[in-house]
Amino acid sequence: MYSEFDLEALLHVEQSFYDAGYQDGFAHGRIHGLIEGRALGREKGFEIWEELGFYEGFALTWRALLVKQGKEDEYVYIFSQRPSQHIRYLLNSISQIPRINPSDTSAHSEEASEELDIPKLLWQIRSRYKVLCSSLGVRPRLLPAESLEDQGQKEDAQMVDATIGQDSPPSQVDPQRVAPGSSIPVWKLDNAGVRKPVTNHDLNF
Amino acid sequence: MDSLWDENADNSSVTDVEWSRISDEYTNSGYRDGITAGKEASSQEGFDAGYATVGVPLGHQLGLLRGVSSVLLSFLKDSSDPSPSPSPQSQRQALLVEAQDIASQLARVRFSDIVPRDLEAEQHAREHLEKEDGADENEETARRREMEGIEDMLANLGASGKAKDTSGRPTVDDVHALRDRLAVLAERLGLSLGIDLKAIALPHG
Repeated sequence: MYSEFDLEALLHVEQSFYDAGYQDGFAHGRIHGLIEGRALGREKGFEIWEELGFYEGFALTWRALLVKQGKEDEYVYIFSQRPSQHIRYLLNSISQIPRINPSDTSAHSEEASEELDIPKLLWQIRSRYKVLCSSLGVRPRLLPAESLEDQGQKEDAQMVDATIGQDSPPSQVDPQRVAPGSSIPVWKLDNAGVRKPVTNHDLNF
Repeated sequence: MDSLWDENADNSSVTDVEWSRISDEYTNSGYRDGITAGKEASSQEGFDAGYATVGVPLGHQLGLLRGVSSVLLSFLKDSSDPSPSPSPQSQRQALLVEAQDIASQLARVRFSDIVPRDLEAEQHAREHLEKEDGADENEETARRREMEGIEDMLANLGASGKAKDTSGRPTVDDVHALRDRLAVLAERLGLSLGIDLKAIALPHG
């Protein structure tokens, strides 16, 4: 009877130790998740919007040039009708890209459809930019400078992109089943850590 | 429950050892699982925050400046274009040199040059360093903390090393100066872009 009671108490004690540890760990892990996610989100947002901002600045400046020339030269004005239209299309497409990551919509189906739209819109914007370039007779910018300068950033981007379409990626790390001592680099603040397990989870963009 | 342990007064030292073994074992196990779960639960939130508050505005603004400067440059290069107000060749040449300089300096700017510091991440890394010499930790915890400290320290070294390397790197203030020069250039060409270039302000750390 004595030992039975002892055992029961022990089980309870184990569970409460585990729970207390879990709570502390969760709070700590949350800080690291926020930090690493933030670093990744900053890079990804920068990368996409540097490109879009370039197109926007490009379109706005050409519009201003065409307007200015059009006022002075009627022939140029007529000639510039086509580029003007492409500029309008391009600016319109850019304005449709959300400036927040739509992943935090609660409705899952809505989220998925919105996600699919963005790569399509980006594709549309790029092709509209190229069409505009050819109508103006200028050479398009080949790649955003970042992608050329910093390959590491590009890798990250691909990693995030890879999660598109995985609506519910199977949770790879079941908290209950992680072997003690498994070395998941949850503490890393550097890029190498960022690329590891968190990105597999669902940093869906 | 309390009485159970009181009755064992004879074996108190054994009980204490056992107690602390169980406590450590289960607390650590819970902590490990918790940190993984906490990290996974929050990384998307961090991503979205970094994306919307830093990445998108930063990229958008730099992209805009680059887009505007690239068009002005190619416009000024194209000498066959009748200049808006027939200006002397030398004046036009000066504008071209200015546009070239702005565009090439903007092209040099990298994400890492202008991204604001993540103060929360730095603060947390410091906390890890401070905790490093904690008193009553068991061997495993101590080892883990040591690793965390080293990793954080490496990350810091990397950051400060980068700061040394980047002594010649552009800063946010440099970008703002380029922005002002670009605005002046656009003004001198008599262009109204539809956006206020001078209102562009990169988020400071």
